[in-house]
Amino acid sequence: MLRKSSLLVAMAAMIMAGGTAVAADWKPERPVEFVVASGAGGGTDNFARTVQKAIAAHKLMDQSIAVLNKGGGSGAEAFIYAKTNAGNPHKLIFGTNNVYLLPHVTKLGYTTADLTPVAAMALDEFLIWVNAKSDYKDAKSFIDAAKANPGKIKVAGSQSKDTDQTLVSLIQQVTGAKFTYVPFNGGGAVNVQLVGGHVDANVNNPSENIEQWKAGALRPLCVFAPKTLEAGPKIHDGKGWSDIPTCKSAGIAIDSYEMPRTIWLPAGVPEGAVAYYRELFKKVSETPEWKDYVQRTSQSGQFLTGAAFDDFRKTDEANATKVFVAEGWAIK
Amino acid sequence: MENFASLMHGFSLALTSYHVMLMIVGVMLGLLVGVLPGLGAPNGVSLLLPLTFSMDPASAIILLASMYWGALFGGSTTSILFNIPGEPSSVATTFDGHPMARKGEATRALTLAFMSAGFGALIGVVLITFLSSWAARFALRFSAPEYFGVYFLAFAAFIGMGSASPFKTIVSMMLGFALGAVGMDSVTGSLRLTFGFDQLLPGISFLVAVIGLFGIGELLVTMEEGLAFNSVATRVSPREVGRTILEWPRYWVALLRSSAVGCWMGITPGGPTAASFMSYGLAQRWSRRPEEFGEGRPEGVVSPETADHAAGTCAMLPMLALGVPSSATAAVMMGGLMIWGLNPGPMLFTEQHDFVWALIASMYLGNVVAVVLVLMTVPLFAAILRIPFAIIGPIIVAVCFIGAYSVNSNAFDFWLVLVFGVVGYLFKKLDYPLAPLVLAMVLGDKAEDAFRQAMIMSQGDLTVFWSNPLAATIMTAGLLLLFMPLVSFGVRRVRRLSVKS
Amino acid sequence: MSISRFAMEIVVALAVCIAGAIVVTGAMEFGIRWSESGPEAGYFPFYVGLLLIFGGIGAGAQAVFARSDSVFLDRAQLQRLVSFFVPMLIFVIISVFLGLYVGTAVYLLVVMRFQGGYRWPFSLVVSIGTVLFFFVIFEVWFQVPLLKGPLEEFLGIY
Repeated sequence: MLRKSSLLVAMAAMIMAGGTAVAADWKPERPVEFVVASGAGGGTDNFARTVQKAIAAHKLMDQSIAVLNKGGGSGAEAFIYAKTNAGNPHKLIFGTNNVYLLPHVTKLGYTTADLTPVAAMALDEFLIWVNAKSDYKDAKSFIDAAKANPGKIKVAGSQSKDTDQTLVSLIQQVTGAKFTYVPFNGGGAVNVQLVGGHVDANVNNPSENIEQWKAGALRPLCVFAPKTLEAGPKIHDGKGWSDIPTCKSAGIAIDSYEMPRTIWLPAGVPEGAVAYYRELFKKVSETPEWKDYVQRTSQSGQFLTGAAFDDFRKTDEANATKVFVAEGWAIK
Repeated sequence: MENFASLMHGFSLALTSYHVMLMIVGVMLGLLVGVLPGLGAPNGVSLLLPLTFSMDPASAIILLASMYWGALFGGSTTSILFNIPGEPSSVATTFDGHPMARKGEATRALTLAFMSAGFGALIGVVLITFLSSWAARFALRFSAPEYFGVYFLAFAAFIGMGSASPFKTIVSMMLGFALGAVGMDSVTGSLRLTFGFDQLLPGISFLVAVIGLFGIGELLVTMEEGLAFNSVATRVSPREVGRTILEWPRYWVALLRSSAVGCWMGITPGGPTAASFMSYGLAQRWSRRPEEFGEGRPEGVVSPETADHAAGTCAMLPMLALGVPSSATAAVMMGGLMIWGLNPGPMLFTEQHDFVWALIASMYLGNVVAVVLVLMTVPLFAAILRIPFAIIGPIIVAVCFIGAYSVNSNAFDFWLVLVFGVVGYLFKKLDYPLAPLVLAMVLGDKAEDAFRQAMIMSQGDLTVFWSNPLAATIMTAGLLLLFMPLVSFGVRRVRRLSVKS
Repeated sequence: MSISRFAMEIVVALAVCIAGAIVVTGAMEFGIRWSESGPEAGYFPFYVGLLLIFGGIGAGAQAVFARSDSVFLDRAQLQRLVSFFVPMLIFVIISVFLGLYVGTAVYLLVVMRFQGGYRWPFSLVVSIGTVLFFFVIFEVWFQVPLLKGPLEEFLGIY
């Protein structure tokens, strides 16, 4: 049974490779561990489990997969785990941009050099959301209100010195408005605070807020993407994702602010392993399971690897570091 | 009545032989993970998740939910038999459950625990059935000050009694707070009290501490006294189970009170662990013989078990209706819902009508199946105590360390278990109470977060805790509970003095 | 030879004070003041540490003033304690280096054979059976990998 399925996989791989030589002969020899840099149920967890589901459904790999959640210390636990497993090509680490941003704000036992980049599979978007009962109909009126009452507008976000707070700081820098940022644990809790009217806004990802928007409890003001999102079905009151203006067009001078969904290996793994997984995740990104996930969570499905991923990472890191330095979070 | 019709529809969907089989499989697997410390419902659920990708969502959630019930039941078993809590929420069950087992009443304790747990869960499901929309709206009124109030209330209900030296109580409680503070501070994003040890980064796991303090600590005490379990007196006959079931309704006051506590803590973000402690504390406080608690009072088993399960069941509601999981297992299940293509949130109840009601109906059925199954296992589990100590003792030790390892897959935790074992032994011998430590460790961190979030929101204004009727009520109730023992003590003193004069 | 309860009370009280001092120093790394937006990261740990020291001193003083001469551990008890604790310690050390499965098997075998007085065959069957049971449950059913060492590597079990 096992032999049969591996034969099938080999055949499938040959067909997919379409005659061109498979990148290398490296293949996983034992069960592969997906180390997730978030607790169970978090955004990164859903990302990793969707990849697992796609691989299982299309038998893209003949070794089994075990998912391991290591979300301690905002995900740093997973990255330190990578460091202690240097050279082990059977451990894949799933994260966001926290892999390379965390060491800038917290003194931790690892550096980005302890991990080998494999790929970024999608970009998650950020929006400004307000309670549907509030008077803010667009981004401009919201920013103006914050300028008129410095520190009185409360913005909730998940964790501290993480993507949400970085974005809020960035908005403050480019607009001159002043908010009060309140950290909560996770996007769900952040949402309850906004729906319950305890805070004035949040900057959640589309998937975190779509249900509340559909129910008419929240209203999106603008999206931090270079262009408006893909249309998709109408969600509430005849509006869909593509009807949300970009924040730049609404007067907030931020070109784009997106969070990559990234996959890494420990440092010191063979070249062939990196090539194998790149190929594997490229295939995953073409499965209907993956496309459905990207569409349902309104992320931008962009498969970045090699130089393109490096470029993205450098730009993202440079931009974020500027904010860290300006806010005084950067460690020496 | 509309809900009732929906529920009947749900039963028609859930009551197929295929689903009942899934429930039995789920409950059995759940029992297994629940019994083994370290493995818990989150493990089981995340393991089964890939298998459910090919099922339809209703069958999948029935399987996972049944696993959850099974794990909740299994957690109490080791608490009672070996003083090792299989799940964090069954710590309070050890306080009186294990003394009962030591007295040879393991069968009685287990039966009481399971019956009460089933009752609590049932009350929780009834609440979900008829008050779901109200409860979801109610949960939305909670913000940081109210969260703090809930934790404070749970704390106040539990603390403030016991015969231990006040200094020792302070030491124990503060140690709990300090242990809870280790790791990432979510309000500032900085690492606290890790002293540069990477192993401390995720914090000190509650389960690791409890396995050491209770499991290993208890074994050390047992060994030193040269005692083994009172195995001869352990009655394992099924008739004993039946007798206990007949005795069980006598605790109806504890059952109702604990269900209320559990539902309250399940809807508010208190969670099952805090619920079981709070319920235990209230049972002791309102008992006519509070001094007998800790020595094997049946109410000391009934109360935490009922509250634990009522809270565990009600915790599903915020997850389904708001997309906010209030327990680790609920978080995993929520991830599952999303992967199956269902988005938890206010629209789930209208858009996925069949799914939601099939789930709720399966909660009734799953719990009935679970109670029947676990009651059948009682004689089996109680019989474990008859195994000679030279065999079962080392196996318990191995289970403790394996369990501790499987929490974080970190060998560093072995040493933590050893240290906590020694601390547990010394504390027990020197009459330092352990319960305040455990409660402080569970609630301290969350309470601090909530307090500081509230301070950020109010810009340092302490009156925020009395700024609206809800927060004010919870805080005032907490203060009353905290000072009630002092007041009643004072009143008694004054009365005695006036009688004398 | 026996250990008095008084000595133990003092030792534990001192240990609590040291723990308190560690917590206080750890908290000092962060702000321990009450800022405009509420308490800083070290505020609560700082006072928790101070209270630990206070409680330790209090418990120590209580022991001094209400000095009892009762025995904490007598010789026989100490012996029983050591004979339980030392094998457990060795079990942990073996497990760290050789993995949990080997550690568990060796520990069960040795304790059952030499402390329980069971015969070799029986001890072997129980210890290996227990390890296999754990292996099936953790690795095969629930896919929770436990700590493994060189033996598993050699046998090709991951």
